[in-house]
Amino acid sequence: MTIMIENNKALQLEVAELMVQALNLDTSANEIDPDAPLYGDGLGLDSIDILEVALVISKRYGLQLKADSENNHEIFSSLHNLTSYVAANKAS
Amino acid sequence: MTTTNKNDPIELAPIKPAVWLQRQERSNMLMLGIMSWISLRLGRTVARSVLHLIATYFVLFSLDSRRASLSYLPRALGRPATWVDLYRHFFCFAATIHDRIYLINRRYDLFDIEIQGEENIRSLIDEGKGVFLMGAHLGSFEVMRAIGRKVPGLRVAMVMHKDNAQKINSMLGAINPEATMDVIPLGRIDSMLQVQQRLDDGMLVGMLSDRTLGDEPMTEIDLLGASAALPTGPFRMAALLRRPVVFMVGLYMGNNRYQVHFETLADFSNIPAGGRNKAVEIAILRYAELLNRYTRLAPYNWFNFFDYWQSVPGSLNEKLNKKLIKK
Repeated sequence: MTIMIENNKALQLEVAELMVQALNLDTSANEIDPDAPLYGDGLGLDSIDILEVALVISKRYGLQLKADSENNHEIFSSLHNLTSYVAANKAS
Repeated sequence: MTTTNKNDPIELAPIKPAVWLQRQERSNMLMLGIMSWISLRLGRTVARSVLHLIATYFVLFSLDSRRASLSYLPRALGRPATWVDLYRHFFCFAATIHDRIYLINRRYDLFDIEIQGEENIRSLIDEGKGVFLMGAHLGSFEVMRAIGRKVPGLRVAMVMHKDNAQKINSMLGAINPEATMDVIPLGRIDSMLQVQQRLDDGMLVGMLSDRTLGDEPMTEIDLLGASAALPTGPFRMAALLRRPVVFMVGLYMGNNRYQVHFETLADFSNIPAGGRNKAVEIAILRYAELLNRYTRLAPYNWFNFFDYWQSVPGSLNEKLNKKLIKK
């Protein structure tokens, strides 16, 4: 599956806001570089942070993030990709 | 900014390798290889006499391990350690590793395994909603797996560093091809999603929560009368996933005797919003309390052969180097 849907700026900010709140990040939502890697070097999140993000995203948008998905690396590679995934899969 | 190829597995960015990663597991594997050969060809009685040689060798020549043991033993024993204590410590370590060979080959008939506190986990298993099992590098890990036949429904997936996961599974395969272990490797972007999946399937997820992988938040605790540090991650994970946590330890009590203990550690099933950090803190203190109790009960079973009170607190400051500091 490719995630190449036109990005939604408002949704991106909303997702960023959820991350900031869930993880108590010392940054504001619009300061997060949408293309920076979430995991490791970029934002510096660890796999437990990723879990926390996955849990709030699942709850907020009524979608399931599965462990066995081949796409997890891509979905969580950046805010941009995470937003695209949410846009494509959220319950309407 | 760095660009990542989406086909590359994304790894935890540069982990500062903790001391134990570099040394301890390597000598474990070497020792196991040698002992496996002797044990399966010559039998347990002969093999155990070889264990005395190995213990003697370590007491005499493994300076780092001896130093670590001497830092630990007086705290657990409450008196200065003697050469006999050192020897017993190393022998206990060698004996539990050795017995893994028989346990992996399902020679349960050779052992007397006593289980205490099964009531602390029975109902949780029966509910089938997933439970965290937290152990430590204290006693035998293999005996915990072996009691699956005595405690029905005890299906455990272990969370561990991915290098160790590979080593352990290749070792298991070499000793008994049927003895596989369900392992969830750490250091992957979706490691925790895998943990969640196993719990949702009603499985038990086990981990040894007394060692850090290097770059993660630590919590200071009192261990045997001095300040030490425990990784916060395992407890935070259990709290996020809202599951009960049971402490488990398999102590080697000499000859062919093992004693397995289950203790209630925490239950994050119904923590209120905003109460998570406090609940995590309480759980860590409870874990420390259990470590204190069982190291005193079975002092020679402590298998962290590095200076636990020095090297661990050093990593408390590492978190400050992260680009984003969590409040």
